[in-house]
Amino acid sequence: MEFLFQILIILLSARVLSEVSERAGMPGILGEILAGIFLGMTVLENTDTISSVAELGVIFLLFIAGYKEVHIEDLKASSKKAIVATVFQILIAFISGFGLGYLFGLGNLESLVLAVAFSPTSIGVTVKTLLDMNYLSSKAGSMMLSSAIFDDIISIFLVSIVSTMAQHNAIPSSMQFLTMIGKLVVFIGVMFLLSHYVFSRLFGYVRKMHSRESIFATVILIALFAAYFAEAMGLHAVIGAFVGGVLLSNISVAKIEDVQSKVSGLAYGMLTPVFFVDIGMSVDPTSLGAAGIFTVLIVVFGLLGKLVGGFVGAKTVGFNFYESLIFGAGVMPRAEVTLVTISIGREMGIIGEEIFSAVVLLAAVSIFVAPILLKFAIQKDKENKNSASG
Amino acid sequence: MDNVFVEKEIYCHWIGVFSGRELDMNRLSTEEGYSDLDEKCSRIFVKDIMRTRPVTIKGDDSVERVLEVFNENQFHTYPVVEKNGSFLGIIDQNIILQLLLTHRVSRLDHTHLMAVKSLSESARGIMIPHPVTIPPEMDLCEVAEIMLKHKVDRFCVVDNDKLVGIICKPDVIKAIYSIRG
Repeated sequence: MEFLFQILIILLSARVLSEVSERAGMPGILGEILAGIFLGMTVLENTDTISSVAELGVIFLLFIAGYKEVHIEDLKASSKKAIVATVFQILIAFISGFGLGYLFGLGNLESLVLAVAFSPTSIGVTVKTLLDMNYLSSKAGSMMLSSAIFDDIISIFLVSIVSTMAQHNAIPSSMQFLTMIGKLVVFIGVMFLLSHYVFSRLFGYVRKMHSRESIFATVILIALFAAYFAEAMGLHAVIGAFVGGVLLSNISVAKIEDVQSKVSGLAYGMLTPVFFVDIGMSVDPTSLGAAGIFTVLIVVFGLLGKLVGGFVGAKTVGFNFYESLIFGAGVMPRAEVTLVTISIGREMGIIGEEIFSAVVLLAAVSIFVAPILLKFAIQKDKENKNSASG
Repeated sequence: MDNVFVEKEIYCHWIGVFSGRELDMNRLSTEEGYSDLDEKCSRIFVKDIMRTRPVTIKGDDSVERVLEVFNENQFHTYPVVEKNGSFLGIIDQNIILQLLLTHRVSRLDHTHLMAVKSLSESARGIMIPHPVTIPPEMDLCEVAEIMLKHKVDRFCVVDNDKLVGIICKPDVIKAIYSIRG
């Protein structure tokens, strides 16, 4: 009974505040996190059951990212310039995170989680602004899109490294590091072979099964299998889910529109809101105040790391000042992968309440600030180009 | 677009009117002795009722050309093929509407993939690659069952990677209605 009430109240408040957030021009996850903070402060306490549903939420968040959003072919079409700019923006964000941790005397592993949490970009926030400003097809806009593919893959790779390190509870030796990379390669290789020789044939049989929702059920089973198999290999479940999603996206029967819509419904309608609410419920507003200057610096370094990294990267490949500023501002938003990283860090006991809450605040602020800065940079770029041509 | 064959009124309809198919229909009419609909149904194949020369889009056609095709015709989905007829994917009305109204789609759909599609210059860039296809030898019962069970309204019929036809729900309904007598 208590569980039913908890899920009811979580899904209801997540849906209401997500709608409010969307109508205010912000992404829905901001509303879901706020719902979690509100519920955590008032009526709900975090229970094991909520955490388990939230864990399914994070697995399906990454699974659906691979299943619906990643198009491996796009990697081939991406330019070398985009690779250079991406490496710069990720590297500088990473260094700013690690450096901040080091400055405040955090342990290596704690600093590493902070560094990895600083590294990803949530391109969805940027795309909306670029569309509104009619700048998606601009030089900076196009490069941002190419950069986003590399960003996703590098960030998920970093998450897999940090989650594996967390299991050892220490920075690994070079041998452990190589073993970890080897496990990742073996995992991807086995999954690729399974997808090519087993899953594709399996769906041929499943399509003919008499039981209801056989294809949908198989997609879900493979998502869970990939997550479990990754864990069994000593990697994190979310990496498995992401790889499973990417591989399933190439099997046509698994991507029938009706099945995609059901998988989306399960993920976005039920599981991922619980994950984001759970993130919000885990935020401790009092720890934000207690951490004081550290919280402020996490937000500032988090924003500047991406802005400066993106700016320098774009400058390096020949962009002008405002185009580089557009690129830097466009890669600032953090959302899903950053939150996944800190939730893994917290779950494994690497980071404390202060860092966790401060990074959630960073994600919220970045979602709010990036579009404003991006609009300003685009406006200036337009003025600059107009004055140059006229 | 040189292989395009446009027949608005009869596309996706029962197509026994074509000379190449009258034989099949005659065969059906001589098989009145079948008592069981399932059995009758299993003796009719996709190749008997599919539409053989659908309007196609070439992979290298410009997006502007694709929009023209959608403007000139009223079909829901078009197959995308290589110049040699190899099947590449499909473009449907949902993709076109999303391209035309990119600003109005849900924020959840403001993904990297959607953005890349909206910037694509060719049909290849906006199509849905490798959708479910069926072989011409599949029987009517099976295709009807798949359509019903998995809520699919139409299939491209592919043989050895080449597009050989397209089959829609109305084709299947009319075929079943016809053999039902």
